[in-house]
Amino acid sequence: MQLVFDNLPFLLKGAGYTLLLTIVSMFFGLIIGLVVAVARLKGNLPIRWIARFYVSIIRGTPLLVQIVIIYYGLVDYGITLGSLTAAYIALSVNAGAYLSETFRGAILSVPKGQLEAAYSTGMTPWQAMRRIVLPQAMRIAIPPMGNTFIGMLKETSLVSVITVSELLRQAQLLIAQYYQYMPFYLGIGIMYWIMSTGLAFILERFERRLAKAY
Amino acid sequence: MIKRKFAVVTITALAVFGLVLSACGGNSDAGTKATNELEQIKAAGVIKVGTMGTYPPYTFLNEQKEVDGFDPDIAKEIAKRLGVKAEFTTQDFSGLIPSLQAKKFDIVISQVTITDERKAQIDFTDSYITNNVKIIVNTNNTDITKLEDFKGKTIGVGLGTNDETYLRTEVLPKVGKFEIKTYDDVITSLKDLDAGRIDATINNLYALKPIVDENGFEIKAVGEAIKSDMAGVALRKDNTELRDAMNKALADMKADGTYDTLFQKWFGEAPAK
Repeated sequence: MQLVFDNLPFLLKGAGYTLLLTIVSMFFGLIIGLVVAVARLKGNLPIRWIARFYVSIIRGTPLLVQIVIIYYGLVDYGITLGSLTAAYIALSVNAGAYLSETFRGAILSVPKGQLEAAYSTGMTPWQAMRRIVLPQAMRIAIPPMGNTFIGMLKETSLVSVITVSELLRQAQLLIAQYYQYMPFYLGIGIMYWIMSTGLAFILERFERRLAKAY
Repeated sequence: MIKRKFAVVTITALAVFGLVLSACGGNSDAGTKATNELEQIKAAGVIKVGTMGTYPPYTFLNEQKEVDGFDPDIAKEIAKRLGVKAEFTTQDFSGLIPSLQAKKFDIVISQVTITDERKAQIDFTDSYITNNVKIIVNTNNTDITKLEDFKGKTIGVGLGTNDETYLRTEVLPKVGKFEIKTYDDVITSLKDLDAGRIDATINNLYALKPIVDENGFEIKAVGEAIKSDMAGVALRKDNTELRDAMNKALADMKADGTYDTLFQKWFGEAPAK
């Protein structure tokens, strides 16, 4: 274990990347997810189908495959992305698909009568969505969203294959140096756990704050 | 009443679970080493070999999806001379030595360079090939011709390879800061070099040819060889019988011309004497 402590700064650098990747991809994932959810509920037929197709592809293929396609595959079509950029894109697109399902369910769970009441007071559909449906849907969406969030934190380890020096890759580099694998894997395991527990705690606080409004 | 029943069930479940867990913990190694590994291999009639399988012409999967290349051929030849069959497992390079330690296979033949750091962990046979390592760059790159030019550039290298250690411990302190990107296999590192995502990599010349021929990568080797590496067959420590038997097989191979034939077959030239 001494080895892990000696190399802690090196590992922490990786943990920093892991958090950065999680936060950036969740941020864009939220936007993508919201747009796709609304597209699937309110869009016209072709838009609805495109959204469905996207969700189906992303949820139906391994994230590792998506990452490798975006990084190594796109090069053959003349799109050369940096490894961090590729990681952001892959993770955001992936999180977006999962979150869109979360949002869709949450939006559908708001009783129809609410929407009708909103319309009868003279709100436009957009206003009704923004003022009546989304605030309520948000509360319902938080727990499953947190789930995706914490899942994402661990999924970031997959981008180690495209040379992003996140936590897992940093550990692998150290293992290649010392040929000692158990302490490093245990060490980063604990680090991942601390990070996801921290995230879970923040999400819980968030949920409570939202509940207070009622 | 129901509550109490529930508690009993829970406690029983926990107890059972605990027992199962503790049972898993015990790693009973009852089988004492009656015979050495060489004997065990001979008795089993199979020698388990670990290799990358993604590094042509040294080790790769051929059209029939079988492990093929210079290294597997050497391994098969050694196996033949030990009177057993070689059975191959492919894995990322960085995982080969840990797997060898964990007894997933008996030997590793995958261009494992013989280094002192590795010798502290594992044992090697005599070397079966010497490779000249050169700097490799994109064809339209003109500003890197020697190690000193790496300063401030991005250099790709295989994770856990001896080249990575060499870059990190010898080149970095000497030429100043540059970024090292690590890859899980040679092909992806060369692909990134071709795509211009890294400025240079270092590798053996023989390794380049088939990949360039196959994929039309626009890359070239430049400058003088920066080092010569000797690769040996890796095995676990304290296996003198197995090591000596393999060394004898290698020596015989070189003496009766089999080695030269294999070398010619894979590299199209005679081995440097």
